[in-house]
Amino acid sequence: MSELLLDIKGLSIIYSTEDGVVEALNKANLQLHKGESLGLVGETGAGKTTLARGIMRLIPNPPGKITGGEIFYEGKDLLKLKDKEMRQLRGRKISMIFQDPMTSLNPVMTAGDQIREVILTHNPGMSKKEGRKQAEEMLEMVGINASRYDDYPHQFSGGMKQRVVIAIALACNPELLIADEPTTALDVTIQAQVLEMIHDLKQKNNTAMLLITHDLGVVAQNCDTVAIIYAGEIVEYGTLRQVYKNILHPYTEGLFGSIPSLDTTSTRLNAIDGMMPDPTLLPKGCKFADRCKFAEKRCLEKDPELITLSDGHKVRCFRYEQEGK
Amino acid sequence: MEENRITNETAPVKKQRSLWDEAWRRFRKNKTAMGGLIYLSILVIIAISTTVIDWVTKNQVYKNYIIKQDLLHRLKGPSAQHIFGQDEFGRDIFLRMLWGTRYSLFMGALAIIFALIIGGFLGALAGYYGKKVDAVIMRAMDILLAIPSMLLATAIVAALGTSLVNVLIAIGISYIPTFARTVRASVLTVKDRDFIEAARAIGCDDSEIIFKYIVMNALAPIIVQATLGLAGAILSIAGLSFLGLGIQPPTPEWGAMLSNARTYIRDAWHVTVMPGLGIMLTILSLNLMGDGLRDALDPKLKN
Amino acid sequence: MAEKSNEILRVNHLKKYFPVPAGMLHAVDDISFTIDNGKTLGVVGESGCGKSTMGRAILRLHEPTSGEVYFQGKDVLALDKQGMKQLRRDMQIIFQDPYASLNPRMTVSEAIAAPLLVQKIYSRRDKAEIEKRVREIMDLVGLANRLINTYPHELDGGRRQRIGIARALALNPKFIVCDEPVSALDVSIQAQILNLMADLQDELGLTYLFITHDLSVVKYVSDDILVMYLGQMVEKAPSDKLFKKPMHPYTQALLSAIPIPDPDLPMNRITMKGELTSPVNPGIGCRFAKRCPYAKDECSQQEMVLTEEEPGHFVTCLRVQRGEI
Repeated sequence: MSELLLDIKGLSIIYSTEDGVVEALNKANLQLHKGESLGLVGETGAGKTTLARGIMRLIPNPPGKITGGEIFYEGKDLLKLKDKEMRQLRGRKISMIFQDPMTSLNPVMTAGDQIREVILTHNPGMSKKEGRKQAEEMLEMVGINASRYDDYPHQFSGGMKQRVVIAIALACNPELLIADEPTTALDVTIQAQVLEMIHDLKQKNNTAMLLITHDLGVVAQNCDTVAIIYAGEIVEYGTLRQVYKNILHPYTEGLFGSIPSLDTTSTRLNAIDGMMPDPTLLPKGCKFADRCKFAEKRCLEKDPELITLSDGHKVRCFRYEQEGK
Repeated sequence: MEENRITNETAPVKKQRSLWDEAWRRFRKNKTAMGGLIYLSILVIIAISTTVIDWVTKNQVYKNYIIKQDLLHRLKGPSAQHIFGQDEFGRDIFLRMLWGTRYSLFMGALAIIFALIIGGFLGALAGYYGKKVDAVIMRAMDILLAIPSMLLATAIVAALGTSLVNVLIAIGISYIPTFARTVRASVLTVKDRDFIEAARAIGCDDSEIIFKYIVMNALAPIIVQATLGLAGAILSIAGLSFLGLGIQPPTPEWGAMLSNARTYIRDAWHVTVMPGLGIMLTILSLNLMGDGLRDALDPKLKN
Repeated sequence: MAEKSNEILRVNHLKKYFPVPAGMLHAVDDISFTIDNGKTLGVVGESGCGKSTMGRAILRLHEPTSGEVYFQGKDVLALDKQGMKQLRRDMQIIFQDPYASLNPRMTVSEAIAAPLLVQKIYSRRDKAEIEKRVREIMDLVGLANRLINTYPHELDGGRRQRIGIARALALNPKFIVCDEPVSALDVSIQAQILNLMADLQDELGLTYLFITHDLSVVKYVSDDILVMYLGQMVEKAPSDKLFKKPMHPYTQALLSAIPIPDPDLPMNRITMKGELTSPVNPGIGCRFAKRCPYAKDECSQQEMVLTEEEPGHFVTCLRVQRGEI
């Protein structure tokens, strides 16, 4: 296995709101190697975006606060870096694509110039003309005609804006790309095109990627390892094949059951009943217990640990206690 | 399904907490805005009680204390008996200010209500129907807006003559474009929301949609604008009076008091400072309250 | 075309153009189809293809430019205001965004009662009757009775969508346009809502026009599927047929772009080249031609016609019709 790039240990993040303290992320552990793609799958409010922002140290404080854990990036703990060092890391080594393209573009600069700016910052000495040429290539690569280089963000549709954002994020050849639902707002054909493009660029530059999504299909086609997150906790974590072919956690099973399959003609989906617990009133035991068909008494009383099975596949469920030992 | 399981349970019906309740909850937490609200509530109480006193005593108090001159004690500084001092005719400034509250407050409010009704109606029409209706109404508003509001009010008063009603109309008209614009803008933001389409899909007609769906949701910015507008209107009334175009002496209007007192500014500080402070504090608290309301009603904080 | 007894909706050559500064935007251009009672027609296409506009044009929420809409044999476009109001009892709509489609100032019971009052099913004074009916509908869509006085902003997306469905069902409609009803929801909630909608269809004999961009959802819910591209209809076929044997090159490309949640089934994406045709003053011919790998010059030179290539399988591709691909 290649070199370890990112190692998150026991990361916990809370938000203090009017309604109480939200435990957005509870002792998350994740590893990402160079050139590897990790898919982080979960629903709205599960803590995916919080985790991504935590790595970038972009948790708005207040109300947010990192309450524990370490984030090692190439052996250095990001949480101990000075603000200036962190700023240098962001955008050069770690790049992030946000879910909402509207907020990540400068409205008074043309889309092309925004891409060129990044290219020029990372290639000192490059001429403006050469920069423009590369920026135009980036635009074409994300499926936007180069003739729109001089258009301003408001002249693009939502999907096109997101593609410009992706072009900006990839223009600086980052070592780690954190993509928070990068294709959710895009059409399926454009999504495929964008993911393929991200994939090619990743390959070329050996970029590692943390792909945050709710779409199991996107993960299957683009990731090497997968973590499933529920109510702030990682409930299942393993290689793509482990998680997809040997589903352990009942929540993961529920997620797969919820997607309409293309090749069967079932009339009902195996939906999970109920919904995610209120983040200010998390249950004391397993967070999934009240939706789980296997729940026992102890599930309601005690939160299970993340258990590692012999093949390295991790799951947070009492049912695998025996195998874990 | 989970929901079905609890459907027939006798769980208590969840308490209603409307957006207004939530806004009030947020507003209460804003100390400066609450300060403004308390100050204004006191002013309203004063304005109402002085009016009631005049009505009960058939203006006896007004005649004997508010406008009766006492030239022996003119320009006397604050004392235990006259805590704000006495003016150029020896009248008690504190009492005159209490009695003056109602002019600023009620006239300001009336002018704003007048502007709100007419401006709001025009803005709602412009926003909802768009196209030609919008173009005609909003260009007219632009013309009004192009004339400085104080100048416009001055011109109207000069043309119609100085009377309470004319001052009111003058200030009201100068605020119409502001409200037309605010209402039009909020109608535009609400108009394209799906729930308007949903209302149309269940068969609502235009008037139902405008009043039940659009105006109800556009109220927040209108309320904020009205609060801030009130501050401006009070200032305009005081300004017109100061220029001698508004309320005439001996009526104890704050602006008029300030205007009359300005000759004596070197001899007696309290004569100008007291009404000036009164105007300033009122405007300040209205502005603080307006800001607080905007924060409390801002839909961005919700969802 | 003889009218079948079971047909509930017939749309003939429906067009909806919008004037824009650059000319005429052909949002919906010559769409024809029929739906049988109790069936679901899925309409699939990418953003901006006019599928939502078409749904709204059928309900006359947007007045169609031309064409014919027959609902149970009645000419919908010929109805006056009163007749249309009457017809709205039978034809309803469910919206995509459960956050935007509910009036934030109305409680759950007010939202569900609104159609009953507007249509004068009950008078405002029949408080008890109205509440009884509201509770009935809430039970039907699985909303707990205790939520009767809550406001939408206090509820999550899944519950809000249930309110949206409840509002549409309040008048006992026969036909519902479902405009991306699950696109804004999380996977597990989406499955709950899809199951609910399937149950309601069985119980109440509803007919759906199901608009979505999600191909796996459309396959799951639909009896027939209509594929749209930039306002034009490109293919219509029974659900399984369309997925087994897509004829139109666009449908083929679309299907190939679906990310399948299985690591053993890699995608085999058909690349679409070239630029999107502008839907403003598009001229005659196939709008997909510029991106189509099989396109010939004729494709952009003559009007497209819809032909039935196989029983129930309609397609507008010239080259398919000639048997060339």
